[in-house]
Amino acid sequence: MNLKKLQNIDKRILYILLAIVIVTPLFVRPSKHPDAVFDEVQNAFNTIDNMPDDKVAFVSIVWGPGTIAENRPQTEVLMRHLFMKHKKFVVLSWDMPGTKLSYDVGKALEEELGMEYGKDWCHLGYRPAYVAMISRAMGEDFQKQFAEDYNNKPLKEMPLPAKIKSAKDIGIVIDITPSATMGTWLAYFCGPYNVPIVTCPTAVMSAEAYPYLDSGQVSGMLNGVIGASMYETLIGRGNTRTEAAATAWSLSCAHIYIILLIVLGNIGYIAAGKKAKR
Amino acid sequence: MSKFITEHAPAITLWASALCTFAVYSILYKENKFYRFFEHVFLGLATGYSFYLTWSLVMKPRWWDVMVGKGVWAWAFAAVFGSMFYFMYSKKHAWISKLIFGLFMGLSAGGIFREFYEIYFPQLGATMRPLATNEVIAEGPWATTVYVAGVLLFYVILFSVISYFFFSFEQKGKMIKASSSLGRTFLMIGFGAIFGATVMGRMTLFIGRFNFLVNNWAPQVAADWHWFKYVLPILVIAAVAGIILALKKKPVETEEPPTE
Repeated sequence: MNLKKLQNIDKRILYILLAIVIVTPLFVRPSKHPDAVFDEVQNAFNTIDNMPDDKVAFVSIVWGPGTIAENRPQTEVLMRHLFMKHKKFVVLSWDMPGTKLSYDVGKALEEELGMEYGKDWCHLGYRPAYVAMISRAMGEDFQKQFAEDYNNKPLKEMPLPAKIKSAKDIGIVIDITPSATMGTWLAYFCGPYNVPIVTCPTAVMSAEAYPYLDSGQVSGMLNGVIGASMYETLIGRGNTRTEAAATAWSLSCAHIYIILLIVLGNIGYIAAGKKAKR
Repeated sequence: MSKFITEHAPAITLWASALCTFAVYSILYKENKFYRFFEHVFLGLATGYSFYLTWSLVMKPRWWDVMVGKGVWAWAFAAVFGSMFYFMYSKKHAWISKLIFGLFMGLSAGGIFREFYEIYFPQLGATMRPLATNEVIAEGPWATTVYVAGVLLFYVILFSVISYFFFSFEQKGKMIKASSSLGRTFLMIGFGAIFGATVMGRMTLFIGRFNFLVNNWAPQVAADWHWFKYVLPILVIAAVAGIILALKKKPVETEEPPTE
C-alpha cells in the first residue's frame, strides 16, 4: 500500500465522511451525556442555584441564527434550570434576529413546565446601544429604560418586571454570547454593582474566559454546547434525548475524525520522507 | 397567489431553508452556479431583512414614533448627527464626518479607562498567588503538593511569557533567551488551544444546519410525502454513484486571481 497517498486524499471524500460522522448522532440522538463535569460548569450551576429567591436573574442574549447550534442549547438548559428552581428571570436580546429565537425558547419551556409569562419570566425584547444600556440604564433606573416587553406590553402591568428597580434587584447576570461581551458586563455592571456573572460563550470564545474564571470575576461558564450538555447532567436530564446531547456527540465524533485525519496525514508525511531518503 | 403563500407559509419557509442549505454546501463539492445564485439571494435577503429589522425594532419605535407621535422634536437632531457620517464620501466636506467620528472615538477612549480598571486590576491582584493556603494544607500532603506544583507552573508560564515580550532591550543573556524561548512555546500551546476551539466552533455551525435538516425538514418531508421514503434510498444510491463517478475524474482547479 502506498502510504504516501494519505497526504492527498480527495477533499470531497473527506467532506462526505465528515457529513456522515456529524449526521449519524443527530439521527440516533443518543441520551448519554458527559459523566465528567467541568468545574466552571459546576460553579455556574451552584451560582444560579444559590441565587436568593427575592432577586431576579438577568439573561442577556447576544446570539443569533449564526451560532444557534451552540447558544440555543445553552439558553434552553439555563432557562429550564431557572424554571425548575422557581427562580424569576428576565431576558433581554442585543441581537435583532436572536430576539424571536430566544423568546420562542422561553415560550416553549413556559408551556412545557406550566409557568406563567409576566410572573415567572419576561422577555424585554431587543435593545440597541449595548454599552450605553448596561452602563446607564441597568444599574440606576431600570423601569425608565425598559418600559415595554417583547409584545409591547407595559412592564408596570406585569408583576415580575414591575418589581425590578435597579441593580439591587438583580441576583445574577447570565450572558449567552458568541462574542466578547463579558468584558462590558464586568466593566459597567457586574464589577461596580457586585453582581455575579455566568458566561456562556461559544467554544471559540471560551479560551478567553478562563483568566476571568481564575481571578473570580466570572462565577461560572458553560463553554459551548459541551458545557450545555454537562449542565443538563446537573439538572437531572443526563439520560434524556436532547439537542445539546446530540450536538455534543456530533462534535465529539467530528473531533475524533479530525484527529484521525491528522494522524493519517502524518503517517503519509513520514512515509513520503522515508521514500525521498531512499 | 398571496393566499397560497399565506396558507403554505410554514412549508415554504422550511423548503426554502433546506434548499438554501443544500445550495450553500454544494460549494464543498466544487464551484457551481447553483451556489452562486443562492449566495446572491442570501446577500440580498440578509440586507433587506436587516434594513427591515433596523427600522421596525430601532428607528421606528425609538426615534420616529417618539419624534412624530409624541412630538419630541429634539430627536430630529439625531438625524443631523447621524447623517454627518456620510460626509466621509465627500473629499471637500470630509471634515464634517471627522467631527462625529472624533466624538465617538472620545467616548470609546473614555470607556477604555473604566474597562481597564474594572477588568484588569482584579486580574493583577489574582496573579499574586500564595504558594499554599491553610485550606490546602489542611487537605493533606498530596493535595498540597499538587497545588504548589500548579502554582509554580503558573509562575513559570507567567514570567517566561512576560520575558518574551521584553522588547525594550536586546535579549542577549542565556537566561533571558531560554526564558523567552520557553514563553514562546507556552504561547504556541495557548494559540493551539484557541485554534482547536475555533475548529470546534466552526463545526457547530455545520452541525446547526444539519440539525435543522434532520430535526425540522426531514420529519416534515416524511409526514407530507409518504412515498418519499421509497424514493430516498434511490436518491442516496444515485448520489453515491454520482460522487464515485465524479471522484474518478480530476477535480476542476479554480483559477487563482493574479497577484498585484
